[in-house]
Amino acid sequence: MLGPNGAGKTTLFRTIGGILKPFSGQITLDDADLFNSKEARRRLAYLSHLSALPEEMTVFNALKYYADMEGGDIEQSLDLLNLSDLKERKFSSLSQGQKKRVSISKIFLRERDLYLLDEPTSNVDPKISKEIRDILIKLSKDKFVLYSSHNLYEAREIGTYLILIKNGELKFFDKIENIKTRQYRVGIKSLNDISNLLPDSQFDNGYYVVTVDNPPTVANIINDLVHSGAELTEVRELDNPLQEFFEE
Amino acid sequence: MSFWQATMRRSVRLSKTYFIFGVGMSVFGAIFSNTSSLVPADLITLENTSIDLMNSIPLVSVAILSMAALIFSMPVVMLFVFDKNTGVLEYLLSTGLDQLDVYKGYVKASLSLASILLAFSNILNTAIGIYLGTSLGLLANKVVLTFALGISGVLLATVSMMAFSSLQKTQMGANQPLGPVIGMIPMLPAFIVPVIFPSYAMVIVISIAVVTSLVSLALLLLSSRLIPREKLLS
Repeated sequence: MLGPNGAGKTTLFRTIGGILKPFSGQITLDDADLFNSKEARRRLAYLSHLSALPEEMTVFNALKYYADMEGGDIEQSLDLLNLSDLKERKFSSLSQGQKKRVSISKIFLRERDLYLLDEPTSNVDPKISKEIRDILIKLSKDKFVLYSSHNLYEAREIGTYLILIKNGELKFFDKIENIKTRQYRVGIKSLNDISNLLPDSQFDNGYYVVTVDNPPTVANIINDLVHSGAELTEVRELDNPLQEFFEE
Repeated sequence: MSFWQATMRRSVRLSKTYFIFGVGMSVFGAIFSNTSSLVPADLITLENTSIDLMNSIPLVSVAILSMAALIFSMPVVMLFVFDKNTGVLEYLLSTGLDQLDVYKGYVKASLSLASILLAFSNILNTAIGIYLGTSLGLLANKVVLTFALGISGVLLATVSMMAFSSLQKTQMGANQPLGPVIGMIPMLPAFIVPVIFPSYAMVIVISIAVVTSLVSLALLLLSSRLIPREKLLS
């Protein structure tokens, strides 16, 4: 789920999670109204942007607080996010990134059918962010995962469907692969000067920047360059197609 | 461990100052309550007045012991605000609880803590009273009155503070004096009634406790119905 700040992403998560009552209609999970059915709400996991853990407890006890109420395997949850080393640390003493991981681990205490994750990779370093993405990809193979992010590359990497909301309205819902953009910018790095081979390119920050209409064109350009003696070291897509889509 | 039990344990860990203060106040109340037994009756009975300090002082201590229970249970209200601010309440709602479940959890924790201190203070009070020769009837009355007033006051303070904290729009700190003040309102008459109307003290204090409890329970039910879930979010 993408949307600018204030678009209503968190509100939508809270509404799906049965915490907020919809102004109209109802949100159901297998015909059970999520706002009114406690049983239905137990089938979902909700990760808010807040830690939602007792700060005064150790990591283990903070997870035990929820495990005692709703069941679950604390050790398994800690292992999943490599938190075993932190389990005796007081939650309030952890860094923001560590707190985020512990917060995420609580939703894996037990299995659910629906996972609602509000910016799960915010405030974490790239390594942890990748770990979380890997977990989400694995999880989404047999569970329904709805998550929000401001990271367009991340959304494109792991998302299957895209929901775009702005000003509280649904602007787009389709498969990410169906998103078409008007043009692609590709950056090419070469050991030798290839400006004469790419007369329409612009040199920017070490890259020869080429604008093409569609991705397959890039393959032809690269092929021509190689055959013309270019010593290429890197070819990368400079823009995320979602970026343009997001800004429209 | 259930939600309310976990809440009670967390409250104990949250602020030890309140617990120490509550226990200290209980000990003071238990001792003060029996001071009349240490003073000769002719010194404590005021001539030409209807005030019977011999019997009214022990009953005045009912208010002190009840207030001690109120102070002792205040960390639960603090924890509620703390949990609202850190998103714990939001997560609890998403796990299937509703407003009433959440409120009941904190109320049970609060009443359990108050009961523990009231039991302690009454055992101490009764032991001192028996040692000093206070009448068993008076001691029994004190036990009944202290539990009735203490529990009802704590119930009122907890419920009204949770409702108040839920409705607050801006994030507030947990150390609000409003909770103890609200809880003390029904306890204040217990300071005066035994002195002015010693014969009716028992009836009046029990009536205050019953009314307070009914008002609190009504407020609890109304809060869970009238305060929407979103008010428990940070």
